[in-house]
Amino acid sequence: MPAASRFSARHIVFLVVLAAVTLPLIFNLSLTHTVTPETQQVYANIDSLAAGELLLLSFDFEASSLPEVRPLAMALIRHAFSRDLKIMGMSLFAEGTALGEQTIRQVAKEYNKQYGVDWVYLGFRPQRESAILSLGESVSAEFPRDYFGTPTTGMPIFAAADSYAQIATVISIADGDMPSYWIEYAVSPHAVNLQAAVTASMATSFYPYLQSHQLKGLLAGLKGAAEYENLIERKGGGARGLYALSVSQFVIVLVIIAGNVVERVRRRRN
Amino acid sequence: MINRIAVAVAFVVGIFMVAQYFISSEISGRLYNLLLDYYQIIFAVTMIVGGISLVRYHGAQIRRDADSRVYSIVTILAVAFMVVSASIAGTGPTSPYQWAFNNLQAPMQATTFSLLAFFVASAAYRGFRVRSTPALVLALAAVIVLVGRSAFGDMISDKLPELAGWVLNNPSATAKRGILVGIGLGSVATALRVILGIERSYL
Amino acid sequence: MDNSTAALLGWVLLSTALILFYTLRSRREGRNLRVIPGLKAIEEAVGRSTELGKPVVFTTGWGGDIQRPTTIAALNLLRFVAARAASYGTRILFPTHDPVIAEAAREIIKTAYAEQGHPDLFRDDDIIFVSPSQFGYAAGVDGIVSRTKPGAMFLLGTFEGEALILAETGNMNGALQISGTDSTIQLSFFIVACDYTLIGEELYTASAYLTDDRRIKASMYAQDFIRLLLIIGLLILPLLALLGLDLHRSILP
Repeated sequence: MPAASRFSARHIVFLVVLAAVTLPLIFNLSLTHTVTPETQQVYANIDSLAAGELLLLSFDFEASSLPEVRPLAMALIRHAFSRDLKIMGMSLFAEGTALGEQTIRQVAKEYNKQYGVDWVYLGFRPQRESAILSLGESVSAEFPRDYFGTPTTGMPIFAAADSYAQIATVISIADGDMPSYWIEYAVSPHAVNLQAAVTASMATSFYPYLQSHQLKGLLAGLKGAAEYENLIERKGGGARGLYALSVSQFVIVLVIIAGNVVERVRRRRN
Repeated sequence: MINRIAVAVAFVVGIFMVAQYFISSEISGRLYNLLLDYYQIIFAVTMIVGGISLVRYHGAQIRRDADSRVYSIVTILAVAFMVVSASIAGTGPTSPYQWAFNNLQAPMQATTFSLLAFFVASAAYRGFRVRSTPALVLALAAVIVLVGRSAFGDMISDKLPELAGWVLNNPSATAKRGILVGIGLGSVATALRVILGIERSYL
Repeated sequence: MDNSTAALLGWVLLSTALILFYTLRSRREGRNLRVIPGLKAIEEAVGRSTELGKPVVFTTGWGGDIQRPTTIAALNLLRFVAARAASYGTRILFPTHDPVIAEAAREIIKTAYAEQGHPDLFRDDDIIFVSPSQFGYAAGVDGIVSRTKPGAMFLLGTFEGEALILAETGNMNGALQISGTDSTIQLSFFIVACDYTLIGEELYTASAYLTDDRRIKASMYAQDFIRLLLIIGLLILPLLALLGLDLHRSILP
């Protein structure tokens, strides 16, 4: 376990990655790309819903992953509002609460959607297991007031749906393991139609759930956001970040090759 | 004596929570909702415990440790600012609390998260050394997925994204599934041990 | 079969197996467990810290609360590590994101020092509630590791995005690292960055491995029994499906 020396191969790797991420952002080029089946599935699921049906979006992420997760959220909300779907927003992470509200509000303004009728933001609930389970009984009972302190009973949007049985789909927008909690506590007991929009590093965890149909759709990372923006024909943060992401991924491949070359040279010398 | 009571409570509540999952009745439903409410109240109280613990720890650091004194002072001031500003001006979109969150906390969190990019590269430099056939397969799979899942994958070949998708949906998902089954069994067994009082590390 | 019935069947099978194995096997000497390198290295890790005059850092990750089985398994390991550290008079630092876990750890470590006859060596400030926020916690732990340069780091519990940040920082500061988590993603990072990694349920078997408690071993035998049933099912059901007998449709949810 060698301690870090003053300047080592590790520091060269850091500098190369810094250049790989920064330069594409400065030059702001765009790339064409295909849409993966997983992204297509999420798009088709939402596109198949009738106007007036309700989506429950859970903003289960922290501020740290905002640059990666926000393009996903915005693309989904834009698609939903363009199809005249209604949105209930909530969060199981304290930090995600304000960020979720800001995101829905920004897109709601673009589509002239009315608060309380077309969308509502319920706020934060701690103890994720009990919150997810309670929503199966009644959303308005679990959230008697919305994020702004307004009583939820009597809100027009709740006439459309008040429990999982009436919610068309739940989408967990997450930077961690939260979709697993939704699978355990919402899909298993209540057969909820669940989809997930997650960071790229977390996406591979959820392929088994996708194959077992516990997850009905999976959007992954900045590339997933760029693909979705392609499908809804509206560019956003995903498209902007895709070039930097792609270059940095390529650079990591080069780093892997470099590591092996160094290893071979070292072995020959020894 | 207190430990015995705690173990007894864990047993009764654990058995009830399992039973009510399968048996639906009005009484169990009401009791279940009550427990969920208590669960959230207890969480709120633990945050108070956490706040006190934080202030105590950093207070001691300020008194004792000259090297990290300034960091502890900043921490205490930041906590105080957020609590006082939220109490006085609320947490609305234009409040000082929200300003501090959007302009200080969120960028700092994102910065710390961005360290992951550098650490992934340095871990890849060290970790994908091909010393055996399985290591070669691993390195090849990593290269296929990295390139296939980037926009360059489409430019190199239509088959590359498909191949990357195959790697993720088949060998990778299969291995994960095996590990998940084992973890699931281990989790249930550990939970059963807690309910039956065999496991008491939480006391 | 619907999800609830499948869950009930699974739970009944595992509970029955656990109780049966506990009753039948707990009074008899069990088979030896296979060597798990990560658990065997605990002694080496704590010893290394003692020789270097450095502390041990033990953390259970940001992803789990006290009720999570992984956290409980990690606290079991903490009991063992704390006992070793206490016997050598080595400091053990426990940074965490959760105040309840901090209190549980405080009791475990304090008891360990008392049982080893060194209650005076226990320092309350070595159990640190850092921050409930993920990267606030990661930054805090990194700071502790960078300043104290521990001889050993134990990263055991539920980790999320902060896993590689902690592991790489420990690696850069020369710590011997033993890790284990239930997250399949973070396992990949730990395997690359740490010296020893407990994969999957190896973390849950730590109690049985280290304490030789027959009751806990009985639960491991029960798990293995269920695993055997699953393997048999995985072999038989596809064969039957190939022969046109779609038994899996009525059994699986």
